[in-house]
Amino acid sequence: MNESAVPHDQQMAEAITQARLATLGMMVAGLAHEINTPLGTLNSNHDVLRRALLRLQVILADEVVTPDELDEVRRVIAAVDSILHVNDIAVERMSALVGSLRNFGRLDRADIDVVDVHEGIDSTLAILAHELRGVTVERGYGVLPRIECHPQQINQVFMNLLLNARQAMPSGGTITISTWAAGPDVFVQISDTGIGIPAAHMARIFEPGFTTRGGRVGMGLGLLISRQIIDHHAGEIAVESTPGSGSSFTLSLPVRYCGAAGH
Amino acid sequence: MRSTVMLVDDEPMVALALRSFLELETSHRVLMFTSPAEALATLDQEPVDVIIADFMMPDMDGITFLSRARELRPLTTRILLTGYADKENAIRAINQAGLYYYLEKPWDNEQLKVIIRNGIERSALFTELDQRVSALEHANVELHGLRARLLQAFL
Repeated sequence: MNESAVPHDQQMAEAITQARLATLGMMVAGLAHEINTPLGTLNSNHDVLRRALLRLQVILADEVVTPDELDEVRRVIAAVDSILHVNDIAVERMSALVGSLRNFGRLDRADIDVVDVHEGIDSTLAILAHELRGVTVERGYGVLPRIECHPQQINQVFMNLLLNARQAMPSGGTITISTWAAGPDVFVQISDTGIGIPAAHMARIFEPGFTTRGGRVGMGLGLLISRQIIDHHAGEIAVESTPGSGSSFTLSLPVRYCGAAGH
Repeated sequence: MRSTVMLVDDEPMVALALRSFLELETSHRVLMFTSPAEALATLDQEPVDVIIADFMMPDMDGITFLSRARELRPLTTRILLTGYADKENAIRAINQAGLYYYLEKPWDNEQLKVIIRNGIERSALFTELDQRVSALEHANVELHGLRARLLQAFL
């Protein structure tokens, strides 16, 4: 690889920022949709509760309740009960989304932290829920020790690999995420059942600007940045692919962070 | 006779919110489905007046679902509820599914009530028109038969 293809630390940081910004727009659109569902539900239910209250006020206004009105009161109470139950689900959904977003961005955590890899993958999956509609995600999680790393960067790698997997399966398919520990390292494998990578492209997929998705800003940096991040963690990233049946990316990360030692 | 409204959304919370509203504020019979395939199976068995379907569903998108519903029950009013409105899909929905209304999330209940009421009226008018056309066609066939018999008798 030539000199210009290996960014220095500053260029690396800029490239990471650029790629994060490129995915940000898409993430925001996806999250807006995910939040719109519970929001629409709460909005409608709020209106129904107001109507229900009005009904009860009208019935109770003349202080004499007829048997028919009593039936109506019971019907309204049943509706309110059902609505409150649905509201619980909607609020829980929104809280989970915000929690995933916070965890993905590690907004309240140190730059280097000891983290649960599965938590990072799950948060990334939650944020990409909209993007991953129509795709089956299978998790085969092993028992992993918590690892010391830049969680924000590692989550960025998960996002890049999951998005690549999604884009390799335009008509849907299965993404399988497997994790395991071996010696001083943990391993994460993200496989898809997509179009695969032609042999002629295999040597170039980690090059800057290499993309099969057109010339959009920030495209063609995902795998390069992923590899750089993994390199900085003294880990490794490997790819296997069979055109027509899918690709599989395997990451290894040391449990103890030792910076970009040797890189 | 009570009108029937069919709700189809893979998100139970949306379908439940719509059902709560319709049950409290209208006298319509409400059928709720989280699976488009099950909704189609029911539609094959019985007619409904209005269908409200979500757009983004994992097994079958709302446009495909409403297109199939149109084949089964062409006189039913079809409404698409979507949290993801874009021009391309709106055009596809109108052309493929013969959509009556394209409603965006979050929706307004009062507006929804009016849309459903108009939709029910529309379905009823179409059904009546269909019955009248059938009756006319039937009468026309009878007239042709009568004319043929008359010609045969007198000529």
